[in-house]
Amino acid sequence: MMRKLKYYVVLAVGVFISVNSLNAQSINDLRINEVMLFNTNNYTDNFGQRGAWIEIMNMGYNSVNLANCYLTNDLNEPKKYKIPSGDPISIIPLRQFIVFFADNKTEHGTLHLNFTLDSTHRFIALVSSNGSTIIDSVTVPVLAANQVYNRMPDGSSNWEVSSFTTPKATNEGRVEKTSAGEKFLKYDPIGAVMAIIAMMVVFTALIVLYRIFRTIGKANQKAVQRKTAKSNEGKIEPQVEEEVAGEVFAAISAALYMYETEKHDQESAIITIQRVSKIYSPWSSKIYGLRQLPNRSIVHQPKK
Amino acid sequence: MEQSGGFFSFLIENLTQFLSYTGFANMTWGHGIMILIGLVFIYLAIKKEYEPLLLVPIGFGIIVGNIPFTPGFQTGIYESGSVLNYLYFGVIQGVYPPLIFLGIGAMTDFSALISNPKLLLIGAAAQLGIFGAYIAALFFGFTPEEAGAIGIIGGADGPTAIFLSSRLAPELMGAIAISAYSYMALVPVIQPPVMRLLTTKKERVIRMKPPRQVTKLEKILFPIVGMLLTTFIVPSGLPLLGMLFFGNLLKESTVTKRLADTAKGPLIDIVTILIGLTVGASTQATTFLTPKSIFIFILGAISFVIATFGGVMFVKFLNLFLKEGNKLNPLIGNAGVSAVPDSARVSQVVGLEYDKTNHLLMHAMGPNVAGVIGSAVAAGILLSFLS
Repeated sequence: MMRKLKYYVVLAVGVFISVNSLNAQSINDLRINEVMLFNTNNYTDNFGQRGAWIEIMNMGYNSVNLANCYLTNDLNEPKKYKIPSGDPISIIPLRQFIVFFADNKTEHGTLHLNFTLDSTHRFIALVSSNGSTIIDSVTVPVLAANQVYNRMPDGSSNWEVSSFTTPKATNEGRVEKTSAGEKFLKYDPIGAVMAIIAMMVVFTALIVLYRIFRTIGKANQKAVQRKTAKSNEGKIEPQVEEEVAGEVFAAISAALYMYETEKHDQESAIITIQRVSKIYSPWSSKIYGLRQLPNRSIVHQPKK
Repeated sequence: MEQSGGFFSFLIENLTQFLSYTGFANMTWGHGIMILIGLVFIYLAIKKEYEPLLLVPIGFGIIVGNIPFTPGFQTGIYESGSVLNYLYFGVIQGVYPPLIFLGIGAMTDFSALISNPKLLLIGAAAQLGIFGAYIAALFFGFTPEEAGAIGIIGGADGPTAIFLSSRLAPELMGAIAISAYSYMALVPVIQPPVMRLLTTKKERVIRMKPPRQVTKLEKILFPIVGMLLTTFIVPSGLPLLGMLFFGNLLKESTVTKRLADTAKGPLIDIVTILIGLTVGASTQATTFLTPKSIFIFILGAISFVIATFGGVMFVKFLNLFLKEGNKLNPLIGNAGVSAVPDSARVSQVVGLEYDKTNHLLMHAMGPNVAGVIGSAVAAGILLSFLS
């Protein structure tokens, strides 16, 4: 029994660690998603100023803290701009975006880099906190004013030059979004895949619940037996499970039901030694409430 | 004289306007048919005692929702700001179904399931009806969201059907809810022929071992472990599963009797009245009398048949691996479709037809309550896939 419990504990810990190890990779889910080099009438910063900007997307399903990572426009200087720690702005929620301004104005805050981008400086890299591992990088082609170089769809390896800019939003904004149902219909027009996956999930959930409660039940039964054995001080007689007929259960259930439904604390009738008199009133008289007067039955006695 | 003429024309004008506002002036054939359906529901509930606690509010709700009126006076259930619209809020936002699940949890005894946990698997197998109906609905040209909402009828669980359809296909919710509750009431008619068809005489008289006694500790652990496990696997089922197991813990802990009594008594009664009336009222002729509703009723029947098939056949499959003496009676398979406790009662009645001393009710309650868990899990999966 203990071995089984250990097995479940190890299994649960294993699942937990493997699921969380996937989440631990989430720093690698960051992507440089959209870049603008020449900003004349596009996105403005909090100071109302326009400059080159870089959008980074968190592709993962966990929030990621960018603090202590680096941004650079020169691979020889990977630690060019260190994203400061302690600023909640550097935390990117799941599937969300952050925009940095390459304007060389760090005094404007965390989101303002200490370098600029232009037609000669078109390389950008996001470097991890160790200062050497490149999480993502891109060399932007020469762009016209207010044009962007972006991934389409978000996070993919396909880059496009576009005049449709979407800072801090999905690049797929211009594409009509397909619903989850439509996607299912595309890949599973009959519904068989859905049926198989869903039935597997339902079975998995209930099989795990079954296994757990089978183990708990057995452990519990053993504990009860041990307790009984202790209280009998060794005089244990092997318990033989008698087969009880269904009627016995049905009778016991019926009796219990009747007992539960018929027991009551207050009687409907009152027993008293006081004189009880009924005051006559036509309003309370039953005879006036009857729609049909009762017939007096006459019993004919046979003549002797 | 001129003044009196003006007064009369004013009076007639107002009377004409009043008459144009009456139900008689706005009556259509659709309203008449729906009122008739409402009356049939009330008849079935009172005379035949088919699920009266649900069919009376729904039947009366259908009549309420189909009283013809002139729009614009905040009267109808779909008119923003009307009283009925406020009550309907609990349906469209999915507030009422979890509250009903709280009450169901507080009145459900999972002992049969805990004493023989393999019965849980029957509750899983009977969910085949949901996905069978999903495939059939796709075949009939419904969108995947609509097909998911229609499929859940096979779960034979009214609150779950309302919860899921309010999220996936709100426009079909009235038809889906009516279909689900109608077939739940018709379980004694739909299931026995399928059960007889799939079983042999020998199988129908299998005697099952009486369930062992379950300790209080096991009863307390069940809702906690059940909730943690099912919601970790399907978090989208949390509103239903969380409330179901919470209600059960209130009951089994024995220290929160007052809360359990409220959950299974006044609370569930109030919510049942509100959900029944508003779901009934949502079936206005204009939205309900469409070819889609007819298809939904057909698919609902199909889903119940497939669910029963899944449950019974799975018991037969399990029996292949069970030793003599431990075998399960396939007549309890139908109970996996949920519809508590009607489908368990069907197992008992059909079982007694073949052996007057073989009482299956207590064994059937296991898959029956497992069906509730299974359908809530299935609803969570559909929600996470399709929303």
